[in-house]
Amino acid sequence: MSSALEIEKGIYKTILEALFPSKSIVKVWSDEVSKNPLFASIEGVRVVQNKKDADILMLFHTYDIQKSDQAVFANGYLVLQRNKGNAVGGFYWQKGRPNLVFVKNKLQERGITLPKKLQSYIEDIE
Amino acid sequence: MKISNAIYSGFIIFLLLFIAFLYINIEDFEKKITQNIRDVILTNTSYLADNIVSIIKNSVGDEDIYTILKNNPQLRHQLESKMQVLVTPSFKFIYMLYKDKDGRYRYLLDGSKEDKAFFDSKFDVNEKEWNKVYATKKTNIIFQDDLTGLWITTLRPYMIDGNVQGVVAIDFSTKLLDIFSEIMKPMKEVFLYIFFAIIFLFAVILYQIIIQRKTKKETVIDPLTHAYNRVFLRDFIDKIDFYHYDIVMLDLDYFKKINDNYGHKAGDFILESFVGLVKKNLRDKDYIVRFGGEEFLIFLYKERKKQSSAIHTLERIRKRIENYNFVYNDTVIKVTVSIGLVDDMHKYKTIQEVMKKVDERLYAAKHSGRNIIIDSDVSSTNMVQTALMEIEKIKLAIDEGRVFCHFQPIVEIQTQSIVKYEALIRLKDEDGTTIYPNSFLDAIEGTNIYRDMTKKLLEIVFEQTKQKQVAISINLNLSDIADNSIYTILSDELLEHKLYANYLTIELLEYETVLNESLLIERLREIKSYGVSIALDDFGSGYSNFSIFEAFPIDIVKIDGSLIKNIDTSKTSYSIVEAIVRFATNLEMDVVGEFVHNEAVLHKLKELNLQYGQGFHLGKPQEII
Repeated sequence: MSSALEIEKGIYKTILEALFPSKSIVKVWSDEVSKNPLFASIEGVRVVQNKKDADILMLFHTYDIQKSDQAVFANGYLVLQRNKGNAVGGFYWQKGRPNLVFVKNKLQERGITLPKKLQSYIEDIE
Repeated sequence: MKISNAIYSGFIIFLLLFIAFLYINIEDFEKKITQNIRDVILTNTSYLADNIVSIIKNSVGDEDIYTILKNNPQLRHQLESKMQVLVTPSFKFIYMLYKDKDGRYRYLLDGSKEDKAFFDSKFDVNEKEWNKVYATKKTNIIFQDDLTGLWITTLRPYMIDGNVQGVVAIDFSTKLLDIFSEIMKPMKEVFLYIFFAIIFLFAVILYQIIIQRKTKKETVIDPLTHAYNRVFLRDFIDKIDFYHYDIVMLDLDYFKKINDNYGHKAGDFILESFVGLVKKNLRDKDYIVRFGGEEFLIFLYKERKKQSSAIHTLERIRKRIENYNFVYNDTVIKVTVSIGLVDDMHKYKTIQEVMKKVDERLYAAKHSGRNIIIDSDVSSTNMVQTALMEIEKIKLAIDEGRVFCHFQPIVEIQTQSIVKYEALIRLKDEDGTTIYPNSFLDAIEGTNIYRDMTKKLLEIVFEQTKQKQVAISINLNLSDIADNSIYTILSDELLEHKLYANYLTIELLEYETVLNESLLIERLREIKSYGVSIALDDFGSGYSNFSIFEAFPIDIVKIDGSLIKNIDTSKTSYSIVEAIVRFATNLEMDVVGEFVHNEAVLHKLKELNLQYGQGFHLGKPQEII
């Protein structure tokens, strides 16, 4: 049986491959240092220390991210709710179950087309 | 001991079964308790879900719940507050979802204290299970055991006008079962430990029983032949009903000669091989027992429908032994076996009577030519009775002092003077008739009677030498010198009469096959140290071997009568005797010609310068010197 960590790693791998299908290396910045080893363990992912160098910002605590060049991904239900103006999506555990959301208009803004298996997770969040 | 082992084993098996029974009952008890806890949880959850649905219905009525709740945040707040009251560490999450037009599940209400979701936000659920509620319109329960304990999710449909408008979900989580299992674990472990301890104990006892049986077996098995021994026999004859067996006694013929000629190791080899061959002809129910040195008993189990099987089996064994080549150190040794059989059990009342009878029949076989089987039919023949009677007669004659000697003079040919006498043993029967050795020696060979007779002969001879101061020769087989008991008798007599030992000559017979040479040489030298002369008797007949002179300290050669008696007419006999005389003279040995039965023969011996002669022409055997 896969551990929760393995499940989480698999989901992040799927998310990053879906958001950056053409990139061989996806540079990730996270506001939760303890998560860096998890991201670093994903094939094709490099963890960067500087936000400006990143392709995507993984937010766990930051509730008020300003509009940025980098894609923003929320890793908590409240983080997603607070940053839904900027986040392309969110992944969080709720009631012991993993939940995944992609924000429709942010995907469109960035010209991202998700693979078919993930399209059911696209939400039209205002 | 056997009974106590059986009691121990029975008790341990009972304990094992009892512990296994308790262990299985504990498992069963645990399963029942677990099931009961689940039932209680499900019942409570079900009641709780019903109550929540009632609360919501009371507030919303029959209106479309999504519309009402969307438009009335205050009502949502009130209902969620009520739901929140019901949340406990076990009833962890209470919430209500609905399925939107795209099939996604979204929040209507969330009574969670933590991790609270917003109205209408998406929630990824196990759609397959949730869809069942919409499809069946019935409560669905999802069980999930994971590392953190038991999860039960109760999904209760919220129905308006027969349509499912939403689903009330209660996530129940408990570690109660794990805690209960933890409580039960030491008890189960205790039973397991006891179970294994008893198995260990059982194994130890089993090992003890095996060791005991093995040890017991070793004490009843003859280590050389692997036949049973007398210890076994004592126990066995007490236990069996001897009417169920044919009882057989076997004795290897002339076994003493094998030991004397080939050595004791060869004898041991023969015994071991013999038993191996016999066993191949026996069945599991038959027993072979080493009764004495080369004497064996067989208990042949009687098959109900095969009355005559014993004699067939024994005949097969007898022939097998007779035809078998026992090869020891590249030497083929032939062996035969004499067999006594008691197959007429109905005639005997006790096992002792049977044993006596089988011994008698073996004895009869021994003295009826050997290599035969004597059973109830044969033993009634005159031949056997005669043989048995002869033995008894000989024994009685010795006991009653009816052993005596005839003395035949040995004469110096040139002077015609008597220089020595050859003692020839005789018996008198009860009516005074003389019995000659050819009538009794074969019968007693290898027995204690033979030894007694040898002792008697020596006593007579030494008595004569003491009285008459004359030289006397006696006949002994070379194997007698090798025989410890006869050699002891001879040594004792020589020691006792050492003043007259130089009057004694021992004429050796049956020296064609010489084994144990070193032992014989040593003993002959010891005998000669008393002044005793050693003669080779009957030289020139059979397979006489000149090499014997190389090894043994021989003083006199007695040329066989078959060569002497025709020396006056046979050129061949004359030439052979001439050669022997020349040979013996060169080795400074005295030569005696036997069977001098007429003057012509005596003349020829004179011509050949043969020193001594013996025969009827020179002097007949007589009782008194």
